[in-house]
Amino acid sequence: MRNLLLAAGAASFLTACTAVSADTPPASTLSNGAPAETGQEMEVSQNLSGVWQVLNTANHDVEAHDGRHAYQLRAGPEGPVPAKNVLAMGAVGAVPPGPSIIKGRETLPYLPGGEDTRAENVATWAENDPEANCYLPGVPRATYLPYPFEIIQNDDQMLIVYEYANAVRNVFLEDPGEAPVDSWMGQSYGYWEGETFVIEVTGLNGSSWLDRAGNHYSSAAKVTERYTRTGPHHIDYTATIEDPETFSEPVTLEMTLYRLVGEDARIEDFNCVPFVEEKLYGHLRKEPLE
Amino acid sequence: MTLIKSLVASTAAAMALALAAPSEAFAEPPETDYEPPRMPDGTPDMQGYWTNASLTTLEKPDNLPVVVPEKQAMAMAGMMEASEKAANQPTDPDAPALEQGGDGVGGYNRFWMDFGSSLAKVRGEYRSTWIVDPSDGKLPYTEEGRKLAEDRLAEQRNNYDNPEVRAAAERCTVGFGSTGGPPMLNVLYNNNYQFVQAPDKVAILVEMNHQTRMIRLNEEHRPKVMDQWLGDSVGHWDGDTLVVETTNFEPDISLRAATRHRVYLSPDAKVTEHFTRISDEEIFYEFWVDDPDVYSQTWKGEMVLRKTEGPIYEYACHEANYSLPGILAGARREEREAAKTGGSE
Repeated sequence: MRNLLLAAGAASFLTACTAVSADTPPASTLSNGAPAETGQEMEVSQNLSGVWQVLNTANHDVEAHDGRHAYQLRAGPEGPVPAKNVLAMGAVGAVPPGPSIIKGRETLPYLPGGEDTRAENVATWAENDPEANCYLPGVPRATYLPYPFEIIQNDDQMLIVYEYANAVRNVFLEDPGEAPVDSWMGQSYGYWEGETFVIEVTGLNGSSWLDRAGNHYSSAAKVTERYTRTGPHHIDYTATIEDPETFSEPVTLEMTLYRLVGEDARIEDFNCVPFVEEKLYGHLRKEPLE
Repeated sequence: MTLIKSLVASTAAAMALALAAPSEAFAEPPETDYEPPRMPDGTPDMQGYWTNASLTTLEKPDNLPVVVPEKQAMAMAGMMEASEKAANQPTDPDAPALEQGGDGVGGYNRFWMDFGSSLAKVRGEYRSTWIVDPSDGKLPYTEEGRKLAEDRLAEQRNNYDNPEVRAAAERCTVGFGSTGGPPMLNVLYNNNYQFVQAPDKVAILVEMNHQTRMIRLNEEHRPKVMDQWLGDSVGHWDGDTLVVETTNFEPDISLRAATRHRVYLSPDAKVTEHFTRISDEEIFYEFWVDDPDVYSQTWKGEMVLRKTEGPIYEYACHEANYSLPGILAGARREEREAAKTGGSE
């Protein structure tokens, strides 16, 4: 079992400077966060290496939301019920409630028409959510999918490797200039700003969603992520989306990243392409299944 | 491939064929005085972008010797350059339409290909094959092993009933052939890798398809049930050589057939790789394949990974995979038309 170190105790690691009383080694030496001796004084170094995961409901819905019957609904006699195509999932397909992860807001500031697009996305969720089709997740959704990701970082190179769909980002540590082409994961340019590692993400192709609730943004978006280590096992993460074609003002999503610790703190090979073949191509089988 | 085959054939025909075994077939990396740059923990720094694009293929082509004389290698490179230049000329706007039903359309034009421009120089020799053991440059299949490979190839060529029987690259589960490996073999394009190192891990990002080999250092393999498309890799440093052992491959990747190689590895095959930096521009890459169900001996390859500029762009394959539904839909249409005309399949 993976052990997620919980937020309790995070505060105890914090000091005014970056020295912390750590019960695990500095992330600068190990990327898997293996446990080490306790009681040592060590620096929280300028390094994000490790296996990280969120613990929140952002991928269900970034906005403040009550629990719902399902990601895709239809009208029932006494209110909404799960749509036919997701009905069999029962409680496994229900949406857990959760607070907003949008800084200072409960909902996204959509421009006119944005809510309609979201409603269309909800109505066709199972068919069109990129996650349901094993498509690359885009940024920032890759961060808060319910799968861990691993950062390998040093002075010369940096990769962020996500368990979901073998998604990966090569983070340029020198300004690469304008992205030559739009892509699902965009172009990432990262640099330190004091204690915070900033990644500017441009060249996103606009096909990604923000969550399973159909929240969306466009290819005009620039996403600026900020990773700030607050202890050996915690990163304060924010992602600011500037998308004048979708939102009336910049939107900042904020959450904590938790380090996975223990011998099995690693990402696995979740190559989901084969798992959606029946969905995408089943009708083209020589003998389609009943 | 037709182009390359004909080039190889014509150059080969013009030169005397002399079979020669590569020297030092079992040797360790070439002796050098090279002092590699080092990571903060003292291990050799292999970070950055590398390529194995080359005219050299896994197995020895029938019409070339294992070690190709320099003059012949230069002639091949020259012809390749000329053919590329010719193929990249603007299309004649007055050219007539291609014949309907003919086979002259092709899948790609030359612009999209990036398979290298010369044979690889390994240990100072131009080699036609990566294989150094056995010395004939051919895969040492057992009878059963060859049958496994041929049966699967025949299935891949003739069976369009279900997506699962199609080649992994058509399904976009991984890149073509054994580009992701291991062993990491050259294909028609996107022969690029990015190495990023940590003290307890070496990551190799494979351009096609955006998969990352996470080589865990000094750790155990995962349980058998957790197979992986690029196998489960663990490694360690032996002096300045990175040693990687990989097994537990996803069964659907057993046959790795691309334009430049065709090789079969069973899910339990063990691949051992040695990566040794021998110059600013080169990593010496050795690999051994131990698969007694398929091969009569452990076979070994030697390759040079060359530094390349990069960067690596996103190869998003599945997201726009119109090929696979097109292939399946084409087969269904053919069946419908056959039924309509009363013909049998």
